[in-house]
Amino acid sequence: MGPFELNTTISNLRNLRESDLSAYDAVYLGNIYCRIFEDNFLECLDDLKEGIARVKGQGLRAYVTSYAAPRNDVLPKVQKALETAAAAGADAVEVHNLGVLRMVHEQFPGMPAHVGGFANVYTDAGAEVLKEYGAVRFTPNYEISLDEVGAITSGVGMPAELVVHGKMPLGVSDYCFLLEYEQKWPEKCPTLCQKNLFLKQGDWAMRSVGKGVLSGKDVCMLEHLPALIAAGHNVFRIEAAYETPAYRLNIAQIYRAALEQAAAGGDGTVDESAWNTIREHTAIGLCNGFYFGRTGAEYVGKRMQSVVAC
Amino acid sequence: MVKAAVENGANAIYVGARGWSRRRDAYELSDEKIHEAIAIAHSGGAKIRVAINTNMQSCEIPALLEKMEKFVGWGIDGAIMTDVGAIAQVHRRFPYLVLHASIGANILNNEDVKFYRSIGVSQVVADTKLTLRELASREADIDVGIEVLIHANNCYTYLGKCWMSPYIRLERTADDFGKDVFRGSPNRGGLDYRVCLEQWELLDDKALLEPVITLKNDAFFYLDDIPPLLDLGVHCLKIQGREYPVPLVGSIVRFYRELIDTYLAKPAEQPFDLTPWRSRLEAIQAERDSKRSGMTLVLLNEARQPVPQGA
Repeated sequence: MGPFELNTTISNLRNLRESDLSAYDAVYLGNIYCRIFEDNFLECLDDLKEGIARVKGQGLRAYVTSYAAPRNDVLPKVQKALETAAAAGADAVEVHNLGVLRMVHEQFPGMPAHVGGFANVYTDAGAEVLKEYGAVRFTPNYEISLDEVGAITSGVGMPAELVVHGKMPLGVSDYCFLLEYEQKWPEKCPTLCQKNLFLKQGDWAMRSVGKGVLSGKDVCMLEHLPALIAAGHNVFRIEAAYETPAYRLNIAQIYRAALEQAAAGGDGTVDESAWNTIREHTAIGLCNGFYFGRTGAEYVGKRMQSVVAC
Repeated sequence: MVKAAVENGANAIYVGARGWSRRRDAYELSDEKIHEAIAIAHSGGAKIRVAINTNMQSCEIPALLEKMEKFVGWGIDGAIMTDVGAIAQVHRRFPYLVLHASIGANILNNEDVKFYRSIGVSQVVADTKLTLRELASREADIDVGIEVLIHANNCYTYLGKCWMSPYIRLERTADDFGKDVFRGSPNRGGLDYRVCLEQWELLDDKALLEPVITLKNDAFFYLDDIPPLLDLGVHCLKIQGREYPVPLVGSIVRFYRELIDTYLAKPAEQPFDLTPWRSRLEAIQAERDSKRSGMTLVLLNEARQPVPQGA
């Protein structure tokens, strides 16, 4: 790995084919929320095989993710996806469920496991346990601060993967309320949840993807990259599973340039045109998530946001 | 409340240690009160388990172990916890203490149960979304007890995998003992603003698709499922309710105590008629619903208050 890794998530082969990944180092394949998401890699295993080959063919690392909340009836399918990932040469699997981590550890001992954000890593002691189960990287629970993340990485010696841009997961459900309404709308499942749907109440807004709830605002850590690099972080994710190929490319290009500059000791100054591009791709506004120990929808930094909605 | 629960027939009571459980401080007990609760429960033949089921910070684990040392010395019968690291450390330090994995651990499948077993858990709380069929499909060779919530809340999202509330409002403060309090984050021990219970509009970009969306969220009482659960061999049925008034909690405990005892006392071949129980439960439910909706309005209002400067 170079001085840093920039990665993203892609749910299916169509999205993968449509996406220019030149600004990325690695890609997670699969949709963690819903089994019937349009041609989800985790259900369409031939597509997954092709996806891994396609990503690796571009010189990138191919990771395979897994469901955020798998129940017993899903485990056989998870098992098959893990087998496919191993056979097709995936570079790692991402697990959000500790039972699935156990499966990977027991059945695929050589496969690096990345612990996902829904696995609830809040403490160094927790990360230590997961390390014993083969975890080599973790995404901290989204609601902990950078100070807390630092306490974990320094205590355990395991790198953290940080979401630096995109809509942060806020919850996962077993129930898709969109299905109650879809007969009234022209768009249907399994593509309905890919529309730009927002739940709004007064100033509050959250993005709905059916079985998942994401932040309405886009997490944006662009002006804080030098501090992240200085703190020793080197794995960064653009959370774009439900975004357009243009979002995936444009945002990644901005972050790649900014990370290269920060890694070379730059002060983090970003060209105004980059901010304009970010603004074009942001429906509600920007936030910093919980990285600064404050309300998740707040933005901290020089780049002030109009405080309109959460 | 501990006294009322014991007198109405509870076999075990969970008490939240102040600053360390999944409720706001008004529904938690100081260490001294926990000491008293142990005496009350034990004199009534019941067990006391301490809820340390917040997701704490790394730096707080030494303080947790110190607290546990005290509770174990006082004779607690178990603890319910969420953070896997804290569980592993408590198990290492107190290997004979019975540890339960909390609802916040979001245990969904047999492999999860095996994982928690391996770090020292001997009883797990089943997620409220699991069906009877799923509970029945549990692998028989897993040496772990199961605990089923029979009065609780079934949120839109999985418990322990939701941070909608702190996304809207998070106020970080410290309590009188210097313990950090994350008001707005249920997973971190603060209160939950229940923002999911708002009436939402659904928009496609800027266009209104639906004027009112209600995310599914049911506060439930099990009734029809009680006999099958007992038939399945579930030995621990749990009533969630420490935020409700003491008389209401007493009524709920009494209702289930009598229902369970009556069912278990009847000959196996004799049918069991739930009709009289249903009407009795309706009255309890009406009271619970009224209290709950009042609390929800207060919380939603609090969620809209600005976070004080410096918090």
